[in-house]
Amino acid sequence: MDIAWEDGKQSTYTGEQLRWACPCAECRGEGGAPGRLARLHALSADELRIKDVTLVGQYAVQIAFDSGHATGIYTFPYLRGLGAAAKP
Amino acid sequence: MPTVSVPSSQQVLDVLGHIQDPDLGRDVVTLGMIKELEVSPQGKVSFTFELTTPACPVRDRFKTQAQDLVGDLPGVTGVEVRMTANVRQSFMRPKPSEILPGVKQTIAVASGKGGVGKSTVAVNLAAALRRSGAEVGLLDADIYGPSVPAMTGSRSVPEQVNGRLKPIEAHGLKLMSFGHIYPGDQATIYRGPMVGKAIEAMMVQVDWGRLDYLVIDLPPGTGDASLTLAQAVPLTGVAIVCTPQDVATDIAIKALQMFRKLNVPALGLIENMSWYVCSECGHRHEIFGHGGAEAAAARLGVPFLGAIPLEDGIRADSDKGTPVVISRPDSAGAKAFEHIASQVAARTSIQSFRQLPVINVH
Repeated sequence: MDIAWEDGKQSTYTGEQLRWACPCAECRGEGGAPGRLARLHALSADELRIKDVTLVGQYAVQIAFDSGHATGIYTFPYLRGLGAAAKP
Repeated sequence: MPTVSVPSSQQVLDVLGHIQDPDLGRDVVTLGMIKELEVSPQGKVSFTFELTTPACPVRDRFKTQAQDLVGDLPGVTGVEVRMTANVRQSFMRPKPSEILPGVKQTIAVASGKGGVGKSTVAVNLAAALRRSGAEVGLLDADIYGPSVPAMTGSRSVPEQVNGRLKPIEAHGLKLMSFGHIYPGDQATIYRGPMVGKAIEAMMVQVDWGRLDYLVIDLPPGTGDASLTLAQAVPLTGVAIVCTPQDVATDIAIKALQMFRKLNVPALGLIENMSWYVCSECGHRHEIFGHGGAEAAAARLGVPFLGAIPLEDGIRADSDKGTPVVISRPDSAGAKAFEHIASQVAARTSIQSFRQLPVINVH
C-alpha cells in the first residue's frame, strides 16, 4: 500500500508490516491484558494479504485482510509514523 | 482623431489578475473564476465572474473591482460583469454511490455543551445560505431531542418513494429530522449504537438530491452521533457554537479537539447569546459576559465567525417555525446570522481546496 501525503512525501507499506501494526483491541490487547499479536510469532499468508482499504471519514483507513480480519482503524498520524521512511 | 484599439482578452485577464481572493489567497484568474470572456470590436467587455459560493462575503467588492479595473483599460467602452456562483465539490468522495452522492459540501454545527443554541444557529445558517441562492439541506442529527421540525414549522411525515425517504421541504430548505420520522411526544429511547445507525440511515436512505450545502445539526457531546458522522462522511468542516461564559467555552474547546483528532477542519467559533438589548431602557446587557468565544478562538488558533445577540424575536420566531433571517431580515439577529453564514461559506470554500492523503493499494 502506498500513501501520497498532502506535503508531497510518499510512504510505502507491506501487508505484513500493516498486519503486525494492527491497532485494534483484539490484536493490541486491552485493559492490561496482552493482545493476540503479543502471543503469536507467525501469521499465515492470508493474514498478511491486504484485501481492501476503506477510508474512515477523513482521519483514518480501515484495512481488511484476506483472512477476514478488518477491525483495525489506522489513523493518518499513526500511518505516517509507521512509514518513517517517508520519501520526499 | 487617433483611434484607440480595443484590448485583447489577455490584457483584460492581466488586469483582473490583480484581484486577490482574500480567503483563498490567490488571484481570481488563477482560481479560474473568470469565464466566458468576450471583447466586442466596439470595446465592450463582458465576462462571467464565478464565485465559489453565492454567500461570498466580498461578492460586491469583487464586482466593483472588476468593473473599475477593466473600465480603466484604454479602448474599453463598456463592462458587463455577470456574477454567478458554483460551489466546489468537497475534496474527497470515498464511495460516491452510497453516501450523499449529490451533496457538494457538508457542514456540521456542534457545541459540546447543550442549550447554547446549536439548532437555532444551524437553522438560520441554512436559511441564510439559501437566501444567498444556494441549494441547502438541513439534517437534524439530534436523535433524542430533535428541534428542527418545530423551528422550521414542518411537522409533516416524510413520503417514501422507491424505498427512500423524501426530505421535507420548508422555507426553500430540504429537511430531515427524527422528529419528522417519529412525530408526537413519544421519546426515542436508544442506546448508543442505534444512534449511529439512525444517523447513517438519514444520510443513506434519504433522497437529498443535489445540494450545495448540507448543514448537519449535531447533538451535544463528543460521542456516538459526532463519531458516526465523522466516520461516515467526509465533513468539509465544523462550526462550533458556544455562549460567552467559561462553562460553555471550556466544553466547546473539547468538542473542537475531538474534531481535530478526527481530522475535520474547524471552520471557526460562533458566539451565541452574546448580548441583550433591553426593550425598556435600550441598554445593552452582556448577561453571560463578553468575548469569551473570541478569546477562545484566538487561543486555539481558529477563526472567530461572529456573535449573535439574545433577541426575543429569534426565540419567538423559532417557536413559530420561521427562522429569523426570513421573518425579520433587518433585525440585528438576522444580520448577525447573515454575516456568520458568509463567513462559514468562505471558510468552506477554503477547505474545498485542501488536499488529503491519496491511498493506493496494489
